[in-house]
Amino acid sequence: MSEILRRDPRKEWIARNRLHPKHLEVLAELGRGAASEWMGPQGLVRKNPHAVGFMGPHGIRRIDRSGVQQGQGAGGARASAAVSKPRVEIDEPAFLVTVVPDMGGGRLSGHDRDLLGLARQLADADPDARGAVAVVTFGAAPEDVDEAGADRVIALEAVEGFAPERRLVLLEAVEREFAPRHWLLPDSGLGGGDLGRRMAARLGERPVTGLWQVIEDPEAPLGWQCTARGAAGSKDILRPMPRLVMALAECAEPISETRHAATPLMLEAGLPEVSEPALPGGVDAPWIEDLGQVPVDPAGVALSEAEFILSAGNGVRDWDGFHEAAKVLGATEGASRVAVDDGYMPRDRQVGATGTWVTARVYVAVGISGAIQHLQGIQPCEKVISINMDAGCDMVKRADLAVIGDAAAVLSALVARVQSARGQEGATESSDASATTDKEARNAA
Amino acid sequence: MLDTLLPILIAGALALAVVGAWRRVRLWRQGRPAPVSLLKGLAAIPRRYLVDLHHVVARDKMISNTHVATAGGFVAAAVLMVLVHGLGLAEGILGWVLLAASATMFAGSCFVARRRRNPPARLSKGPWMRLPKSLMAFSLSTFAITLPAVGLLPEDFGSWILALVLSAVLVWGLGEMFFGMTWGGPMKHAFAGALHLAFHRRPDRFSTKEGGEGRSTGLKALNLDDHEAPLGVETPSDFTWNQLLGFDACVQCGRCEAVCPAFAAGQPLNPKKLIQDMVVGMAGGSDAEYAGSPYPGKPVGEHEGSADGPIVARQGKALVDADTLWSCTTCRACVEECPMMIEHVDAIVDMRRFMTLEHGNTPNKGAEVLDNLIATDNPGGFDPGARMHWAADLALPLMADRGEAEVLLWLGDGAYDMRNQRTLRSLVKVLRAADVDFAVLGDEERDSGDVARRLGDEATFQSLAKRNIATLSKYRFKRIVTCDPHSFHVLGNEYGELGGEYEVRHHSTFIAELYDAGKLAFAPWKGGRVTYHDPCYLGRYNGEFEAPRNVLKALGIEVAEMERSGFRSRCCGGGGGAAITDVPGKQRIPDMRMGDVGETGADMVAVGCPQCTAMLEGVVDSTAEVRDIAELVANALVEAPASAGDRSQAQGPQAVEVS
Amino acid sequence: MPPDIQAPKRRASTTPVLDVVALVSVGRHPVTGRGRRADLDARGVELALSLPEAQTRLVHAGRYDADSEQALRGYLGMGFKDLTLLEQPAGSDVSVALGEALEDWGPQLVIAGERAEQGEGSGMLAYLLAERLGWPLVQGLAAIEEVSQGVATVLQALPRGQRRRLKVRLPAIVTVDSAAPAARQSAFGPARRGECQSLTVDACKDEALSSWTMQPARKRPKRLKIVKAASARDRFKAAAAKAEGGGGQVLSDVTPDEGAEAIYKLLKDEGVLR
Repeated sequence: MSEILRRDPRKEWIARNRLHPKHLEVLAELGRGAASEWMGPQGLVRKNPHAVGFMGPHGIRRIDRSGVQQGQGAGGARASAAVSKPRVEIDEPAFLVTVVPDMGGGRLSGHDRDLLGLARQLADADPDARGAVAVVTFGAAPEDVDEAGADRVIALEAVEGFAPERRLVLLEAVEREFAPRHWLLPDSGLGGGDLGRRMAARLGERPVTGLWQVIEDPEAPLGWQCTARGAAGSKDILRPMPRLVMALAECAEPISETRHAATPLMLEAGLPEVSEPALPGGVDAPWIEDLGQVPVDPAGVALSEAEFILSAGNGVRDWDGFHEAAKVLGATEGASRVAVDDGYMPRDRQVGATGTWVTARVYVAVGISGAIQHLQGIQPCEKVISINMDAGCDMVKRADLAVIGDAAAVLSALVARVQSARGQEGATESSDASATTDKEARNAA
Repeated sequence: MLDTLLPILIAGALALAVVGAWRRVRLWRQGRPAPVSLLKGLAAIPRRYLVDLHHVVARDKMISNTHVATAGGFVAAAVLMVLVHGLGLAEGILGWVLLAASATMFAGSCFVARRRRNPPARLSKGPWMRLPKSLMAFSLSTFAITLPAVGLLPEDFGSWILALVLSAVLVWGLGEMFFGMTWGGPMKHAFAGALHLAFHRRPDRFSTKEGGEGRSTGLKALNLDDHEAPLGVETPSDFTWNQLLGFDACVQCGRCEAVCPAFAAGQPLNPKKLIQDMVVGMAGGSDAEYAGSPYPGKPVGEHEGSADGPIVARQGKALVDADTLWSCTTCRACVEECPMMIEHVDAIVDMRRFMTLEHGNTPNKGAEVLDNLIATDNPGGFDPGARMHWAADLALPLMADRGEAEVLLWLGDGAYDMRNQRTLRSLVKVLRAADVDFAVLGDEERDSGDVARRLGDEATFQSLAKRNIATLSKYRFKRIVTCDPHSFHVLGNEYGELGGEYEVRHHSTFIAELYDAGKLAFAPWKGGRVTYHDPCYLGRYNGEFEAPRNVLKALGIEVAEMERSGFRSRCCGGGGGAAITDVPGKQRIPDMRMGDVGETGADMVAVGCPQCTAMLEGVVDSTAEVRDIAELVANALVEAPASAGDRSQAQGPQAVEVS
Repeated sequence: MPPDIQAPKRRASTTPVLDVVALVSVGRHPVTGRGRRADLDARGVELALSLPEAQTRLVHAGRYDADSEQALRGYLGMGFKDLTLLEQPAGSDVSVALGEALEDWGPQLVIAGERAEQGEGSGMLAYLLAERLGWPLVQGLAAIEEVSQGVATVLQALPRGQRRRLKVRLPAIVTVDSAAPAARQSAFGPARRGECQSLTVDACKDEALSSWTMQPARKRPKRLKIVKAASARDRFKAAAAKAEGGGGQVLSDVTPDEGAEAIYKLLKDEGVLR
C-alpha cells in the first residue's frame, strides 16, 4: 500500500473540473469517483452522500471539495481498484452454465473461483450468444460472488452437515427448471466430487471427472474438447466435454478484472421433498445420519496426512516444552530417528527415509541436524523451518527459514507470540461467535 | 560279588541307553526327510570331530584341553569297561589302559568342576551343575573297580559295604553317562553331537583331506514349484530331521549368547535359548526347565509347544515370540562360535519364511520393503529408471552397449542412497585409475534379493534372482565386482542353486589385486588412527578378512584392531533386515559397535559395506568418522608410483572429492 | 506390528452374519506401472476384515489374464480362500454386470475403493451401483466403527486428518479413502492357494471409452502468481520482490523473541496456524 502520496497537479485539476471530459475517469483513478458518484442505469449521475468525505483527525467527517484527499479515506489504491472493476451484465443469456461451489466455511475457495473462471470461459466463448453463469448455493450466496464471475445466483435452502440426498434433490429441481447447458462442480474429495457423481448417476449423464483443460472444438456436441486426469492421475483422457463436469483446481484462471450482476434466480416450482425409498430389511432409520465431526488431536494425526509438522531431534532437551508447543501451534508431532531411538518419541512418529515420508506444507525441525535419510523423507515439504544451535548443519541449509539459537527458548517465545496473537484476535472477533468455526471449516476445506 | 554285579550293571545301562537312543531317534524322525549319506556320514565323524569341531573348541585352550581329557578318557574308559568288566577280558594290558583312561577322565573332570565353581553367565546351570560330579563318580568308580582286576588290590579287598558303596557310585556314573546320554541328560550332547556331525545339513562346512576352506553359508532354496511343499517352518516337525538332530546336540555352552549382537543390545533373542526351545518343542512341553539366560525381557516358563504345534502363535504365546525371530541380524556370529556346528541362522530364516509367506506378518517396515521389491525391484520404492541418476556425469560404460567387459561392476541398491553414491564414485575413480575394463548393468540391475530372502520372502528372492540371472546371462564378463558384501554373498553363494554361477569379488579384494599387480599407487597416509570393521557378509560369510587389511596396509595405515574383529567381528546391526524389522532393545547395535571403535582410540573406522556405513554413520556423537575403503583408496590415489611423494597430489582424508 | 492374516472365521450360528462384498480391481504401481492390488480397494478389504461378524466375498469384474491374475492374487493373499470373478473383456462397462450380480446376491454392505487405478478411474462405479440398487452411499471412509441392527456407524475422512461420524442404513455401498488403515501384507502362500472362481456374465462394451484418447499424464503447468496491481508502485514492488526458494534465510544472533516473530510470520503466511 502506498504510504507516500505523490501529487499529480494535472489530475488534481481535472478532478476539480467537473466539466473536463476525463473528469470521471480521473476521479475513479484517484479512488473516489466510483464510490461516491456513478452513472445510473438511466444515464443519470447518482451520488452517494455517505461515501463522500473522510474522517478527520478529531473524528469529524470532513469533505474536501478539492477532490484530492478523498482517495485516502477509501483505503488506498487496492480498495479503490476493487470497486472500479468494469461491470458486466448479460440480460438475455443464450444458455446457462451452473456452478455448484463447495463454499467451505461459507466462502468461495480458490478451487471454486477457478471453476467460476472456467464457467466464464464456457459462457463467453461465443460473443454473439453469451451464456450466463449461475452459481448454485445451499444457503445465502457469499457477497463477493459478483466479483468471482456470477451473472445469476440460485440460492437454495441451506443444508447443514452431510446430507447428500437432500442436496441432490435440490439440484435436480434446478436441472428441471433451468436445464443448464453445463453443470460445473469442483472435483474435490467431499464436496462437489461426491455431489457431482451422485448427480451424474441420478441424471444418467456420463460426467467428466478430473478435468483440467478445455479446448474449443466445433465438432464436439457441446462445442468443447477437454483433457481430464484418469487412472489415478497417471493418464490424460482427451474427450468431448460432456454436460456434467467435475474439474480440478487451477482448471482456469479465476475472474479478477470484472464484476458481474449476480442477479438472484428463484425456483418457480418451489423446493421438492426428499423421499427415501424403503430398503430391504425393514429397519426404520434415516438413510444417512450425520453425528458431527469427531474431535481429533492434531498431535495424533498420521504423519503422512499431516499438513503442519513440528519435529523434534537430538537437540531437544525440554520435551514438555516441545509437546506444549505442538499443542499450542496445533501441529502434528514428528521426530528424527535419534529422538525415537532414545525413547522420547514413539516409532510411528519417525520422519525420514527410514520412517515416514511426509508431505507437510510446513515442517518445523527443532534441534534436527538433518541426516541424509531425514532430508530425503522431508523432500516434498514446501516450507521448512529449522531451529538449531548449529548454523552449519545440513538442515539449516535445507531450511527456508532457519533460526539459530536455543530450541527451548525459541519455542517458548513462539508459544508466547502465538498466544498473544490469539488473545488479540479473541478481543476483536469475540463478537462474531462463528468466526472461529468458520475459520476451522475453511482450513478443513 | 562285584564280578557278578558289574556285567549286569553294564549290560543294563547299555540296554537302557539303546532304548533311549531309539526313542531319541524317533523324536528326530518327526522332522521332514533330508537326503544324507548314512555310511559316508558315520565314517566322517572322526575327522569332523577331531579336525573341524576341535578347531572351534580350541579357541579356548583351557576348555579344549579339559574336553580332550574328559571326553577322550570317557570314550576309552567306556569301551574298555565293557571289555574288561562286561566281558571279563581283564588280562594283560587292557586293565592298565582302563586305569589310565579313567584317571585321565578324572583329571579332566576336575577342570570341569573348577569351571563350574564360578560359571560365567553364558553357561546353563540346572542339570549341568551336577555333570562334574557325575563325571567324577564315573571315573573314580571305574578306577576303583579296575584296581582289583589288574591285581593292584586283592580280589576280596574291603567289605561288602565298600562294594555296595562302590556299586552305588558306579550306578550314578553309569546312569549319567549311558542312560542320561540318550534319555536327555547333559551327556546327550555327545550322542546327538556325534550323529549331528555325521548327518550335518551342510557337509561342505567340514574340511576334507584334500583341504578346502570348509565354508558353506548360502541359504538353501525353497522349492516353490511344488505346491504341496511347506513354505518354511511352522511347527518343530517342519524342520528336517537332521536340523532337529542338530538342535539336540547343543551343549548350552552359551558361546553364541556371548557373541550375539541382538542379545547384547537387549533385544529378545538368545541363540542358545532359541535352540533349547526347539528341543522343547520337538519333545513337547514348556521351557520352565531351561536353566540359562532367558531372552532379554522375557521370563522363562511362559512358553510351551509341541512337535506339531505352532512355533509362533498367530495370537498369544506359543513356543517362541515373533520378535525373537525378527531380532536376528543373520550375522552368523553364533554359527561361527558354536562348537557343535549348529545352524542357528538357517533355522531362524526357515521360521521367518513361514511368518512372511504364510502369515503375511513381516513386522514394521518389512511389508513395505517387500512390496517395493515386488513393484520396483528395489527396497526403497524408487523408480528403476532412476538407478543411474547418480552417475549421470560419469559416463559409465553400459553392458547393454558393450556386450562384454572384463569386470561387471555390480552397484547394488546403494546406487539410490546419497551416502553410498560417494563410495560408488570413489570406486569408479579407482577402477579408472587402474585402467580396468569394466561395465555396469545400469537400469537392468535389480536388487540382489538379499533383504527379501532374509526377511523370509523366498518367492520375491527367487523372482529377483531369476531375472538377474537372465540379465547376466546376456553378457560376457570374467568376474563381478561389487562394493556391497550382501550382493557379493548372494551372487556368489546363493545364485548357484538357481542356475547362476559367477566369480564374484568384493571391491576390497579386487583393489588388493590391482595394487599387487602394480596398477595403483598411493600417497602416504596422513590421517589419524584407523580401525577396520569386518562386515559380517564379507568376513564370516565369505572368509575375506585379509584383503581389506592388505589394502589399508598398502595405504600406509596401521590398523588399530578392535577387540572383536576378524571372524569375531561384531555386527553393525544392519544385516538380515534387522534395520527394517527394528525390534526394540535396550540399546542399539551400531552404538555398541561404535563404542568398540572408540575403545581403540581410532578417529576413523574403515568399512567395506553400505549397510555398515549407514548404520555406523547413524550413531550420534560418535568419536570416529566412517569411510569406505574405496573412499580411502580414491583419496590417496596418485598418478604413478614415481610421483608418490608429490605433496600436491596428496589429499587429506577429509576431502571427499571425486572427479 | 501388522494384523495377522487369518482364514475367514467360522461363526457360531447365534451371531448374525454380515454379508459383505468387497469390490476389488487391478491396480497400477505409481512408479513402475506394474499391476498390483489397488491401494484403495485393498484398504477396503482391510476394513471388511476388521468387521468381526463379516462374511466377506471378494468380487472382481474385468479382464482376467496373467497380469491381472497376479494382482488379484494379492487380495487372496490377505487371507481369502477364493475370489469371485465376473469376467469381462477389456473396455467393458463393468457397472452393468456388477449391478446384476449384486442384485442377485443381496449383500448387506458393499465396500469399494474411491476410484480405480486403471482405465477411466472416474470413481463413478459405486455411484452407479447405488443408483441402480437404490441404496444409500457414503463416500471417503476412514473406518467402520460398528455394524448393529442394520445400521453401520462409520467415520468419514475429512482433510487434515479430521473425521466425521455418520450412521448409514444397510444395505449400503461405501467407498474407502486413503486415510483408512493400510492393507495388511499379502502373503505368498494363501495368494498361491486361493482360487479365482469365474462366473459367466454378459459383457457390455463401453463405446464411449474406446472413442477417447488416452495418453500418459502430462505435467500440469504450475500457476504463476500473477500480480494484477493497480498502481505502478505495486507492480514494481512485486517485480522487485525477492524470488522465492532461492536459498533460505538464516537468522543467527537474534533473540529468541525475534526468531519466534520470524517463524510466526511464516506460519501465518502459510496459513497453518488456526
